[in-house]
Amino acid sequence: MNQYHFHCQAIRRILSSLLTVVACMTALPVPPAQAEPDRLVVYSGRAERLIKPLLDSFQAKTGVQVDLLSSGTTEVVNRLQAEGARTPADLLITNDAGSLERARELGLLRPLTAPDIAAAIPAQFRAADNSWIGLSGRFWVVVYNTTMIKPADLRSLLDLAEPRWKNKIAIPNAGSEYLQAGISVIKTVYGDDRTKQFLEGLKANAGTQVYGKSSQIVEAVAKGQVALGVVNHYYVYRYLATQPGAPIAVLMPDQHEGGMGAIINVAGIGITTHTKHADSARRLVEYLVSEEGQKQFADLNKEYPLHPRVAADPALPPYKTTRIAPVPLTKLGELREPAMALIEQAGLR
Amino acid sequence: MNHTATVKPALPNSLSLVAVTVVGLLCLPLAYVTHMALTADAAIWSRLWTTRIPELLFNTTALALGVAAGTLLLGVSLAWLVSRREFPGRRIWEWALVLPLAIPTYVLAYIYSHLLGAGGPVESAWQMLAGPDGHLPSPHSYAGVTLVMTLDTFPFVYLLTRAAFLNLNVSYEEVARACGASRTGTLFRIMLPLMRPAIVAGLSLVVLYVVSDFGAVSLLRYQTLTYAVYQQITGRYDPTAASILSLLLVVVALIFLVAERWFRQQSRFFQTTGRYRAPARRPCSPLGTALATIYTIGVFAASFGIPALLLIQWSLSAIASGAVDVRFFGFVWNSAFLSSLAATVAVLIGLPLAYLASRRPSRLNLLCLQAAYAGYVLPGPVGALALLAIVSHLAPFWYGTAAVLVIAYVVHFLPAGLQSMEPALQQVTPNLEEASRSLGFGTAATLRHVTLPLVRDGFIAAWVLMFLQSMKELPATLLLRPVGFDTLAVRVWLEASEEYYQLAAPSALLIVIMTIPAILLLLSKDWRAA
Repeated sequence: MNQYHFHCQAIRRILSSLLTVVACMTALPVPPAQAEPDRLVVYSGRAERLIKPLLDSFQAKTGVQVDLLSSGTTEVVNRLQAEGARTPADLLITNDAGSLERARELGLLRPLTAPDIAAAIPAQFRAADNSWIGLSGRFWVVVYNTTMIKPADLRSLLDLAEPRWKNKIAIPNAGSEYLQAGISVIKTVYGDDRTKQFLEGLKANAGTQVYGKSSQIVEAVAKGQVALGVVNHYYVYRYLATQPGAPIAVLMPDQHEGGMGAIINVAGIGITTHTKHADSARRLVEYLVSEEGQKQFADLNKEYPLHPRVAADPALPPYKTTRIAPVPLTKLGELREPAMALIEQAGLR
Repeated sequence: MNHTATVKPALPNSLSLVAVTVVGLLCLPLAYVTHMALTADAAIWSRLWTTRIPELLFNTTALALGVAAGTLLLGVSLAWLVSRREFPGRRIWEWALVLPLAIPTYVLAYIYSHLLGAGGPVESAWQMLAGPDGHLPSPHSYAGVTLVMTLDTFPFVYLLTRAAFLNLNVSYEEVARACGASRTGTLFRIMLPLMRPAIVAGLSLVVLYVVSDFGAVSLLRYQTLTYAVYQQITGRYDPTAASILSLLLVVVALIFLVAERWFRQQSRFFQTTGRYRAPARRPCSPLGTALATIYTIGVFAASFGIPALLLIQWSLSAIASGAVDVRFFGFVWNSAFLSSLAATVAVLIGLPLAYLASRRPSRLNLLCLQAAYAGYVLPGPVGALALLAIVSHLAPFWYGTAAVLVIAYVVHFLPAGLQSMEPALQQVTPNLEEASRSLGFGTAATLRHVTLPLVRDGFIAAWVLMFLQSMKELPATLLLRPVGFDTLAVRVWLEASEEYYQLAAPSALLIVIMTIPAILLLLSKDWRAA
């Protein structure tokens, strides 16, 4: 019978030595984040290549190291909430005012009193208490293949639900914050029934052409897999910048007399409630809203800079003459849940 | 040497206690998902039933059936070819046909998305024949996913069937032939029915793999339960719907796991005597040689050759444009660090479980071992969902750290490791240890000179297996990775899903290169989960 006990002993010895190894390995890579003042952690819902160049130039300019976690917008908000006071994040960047507003309601962002930031970004692109600040604007537009349809074929986003577009459109999936924000606006303007009808038509027309990324929708339209897609405008212009001859163009929807107006949203930033590096975090926000930072949003990303003195790319539809849907960005937070309920009822993927 | 063989009155149950605790922790994620799903609002259940569930169940089942049919065709025919016919290069193809296992599904999916996609090389070639308006069906479809998954998983069926062909008693064939059955008749009426258990075991494995795959379905945008769970987790604030779909997925996976085990039991008993001699390989006729060579090369090229060449070509141009920089080596380090940590922890955890089950096969200890297999039915996104919820309630301090990711790997991949640790320990008879003790060796000396050398190979195999699987793991890593802790797999997926194929290539190539020797090493052991 002693072989059992003998083995217990032996196994304990192995276990303890291996545990020591594991303990050493675990101790190694833990970054002493709290000890260094000049190091920021940014949670971002934007695609890495749309935000990293800006953070890199901030880092080069100030010497403050910026670590980036790039993932889905909803996912990073969920993560921030779950981590609570222990979060390593100092800043939250998302693609969508609704998610920022939700983070504010959950108490994840801290209000900011900063006159220079207020001066740089017009009030309609900020939270009421400045707990999030818009960085760049984007319109939810229709991208179409110029060899397949003419711009006169379509006037409003809601036309996309018509049966004539069956198997001809590409849409983002139900988890997309642009879609959720867009539906929030349509629901406010047209009411539940009309919105639901729209969603059902959209679902039927898109079929399997449901995408996780806007860049894929633009690609599908450019290659003629579908005739139309709904995306944020800058994905189209970024694509055109790399593939100048691509047969795609932007159609700004709902511009007709009495129309709803185009759906606008912003990418924005907020400093987390539990940051331990509030000063450095603030410097990053100041950099991103400065003329230098805003110019990068305009030049690199083809977004609309929000700073009044920075001009957008001349290829873009001029912001001033665009008719815009009358739903304030700060309302997008509270509109989110009911809009998602409609999306789910319609059974979008 | 003075070794006193005093035996301490050790706590007899302390190790069992450890085992029970460990198993309890391993099963927690499964229990949690079940709990969340069953306590969910009935309205959410009914909404999902009316909108999503029928489509997802249909898609998942259709994909599983399609891939099963494809792998059956490829796996069985190739196994027959290499084990019953002789043609030039047969020895090379015999092992080369295993190589597709080294390519993760997300890598093969993105390569085929390029090859067969609009404007890709295949469509361009087609347009030269059919004119500029010729279009091929998109790979982002049922057919595309089925093709990719079939090419990636047919080696499972191939390997099991080949082993069955080689182990089959040739007397059956000879008797059938002596009684006047044709060769074809013997194959279809005698041999294949005899090998049914092995083939079905391979198919169940394929189906389990398909059902829990995230990489290919996400890149080719085919809606299955696993993909839907991931989308729910990343796109919703409320995890309830995700947990409901997770529970369904667990049930589906469980069905196939039980089926695989059952058929494996069957195949164990089906032949009582070993083969008498190796089956003869019939030489092919010149025409047969040509056909066999074309077929094998075709399958090999589609499933491994062309993808590997493309990866090399893309990697070279990515390296030329400076994509392999300090950051890239950071990702390599992250992958290596996380995977080796997970594999080490899993071996540590598996040791007492396997030990108790083989040395003290009490009901409790055997139950513990079985329960440790729970991770098999927890596809990546489901495990991640459960761990996110559990950690935020029980150990919020760990949230967003590498520890959670390591736990996820351990829960998910320990079963694969146990499959080679358990037999390794079982093969060491206690008599050897007792003999060593009675001949004067002490505890430590016996362990060092007798037990460890005997179990070493099995444990190394287990470690390598779990290391590789952790390195290839995608969905849980995407959901649980800490800040600045992207792994190679995550980079491949992120770049590929934005169609930056060249940027994804170096990471993908590195994964494939690291996996190949290990697959060949493990072939003699347990390749089932590779």
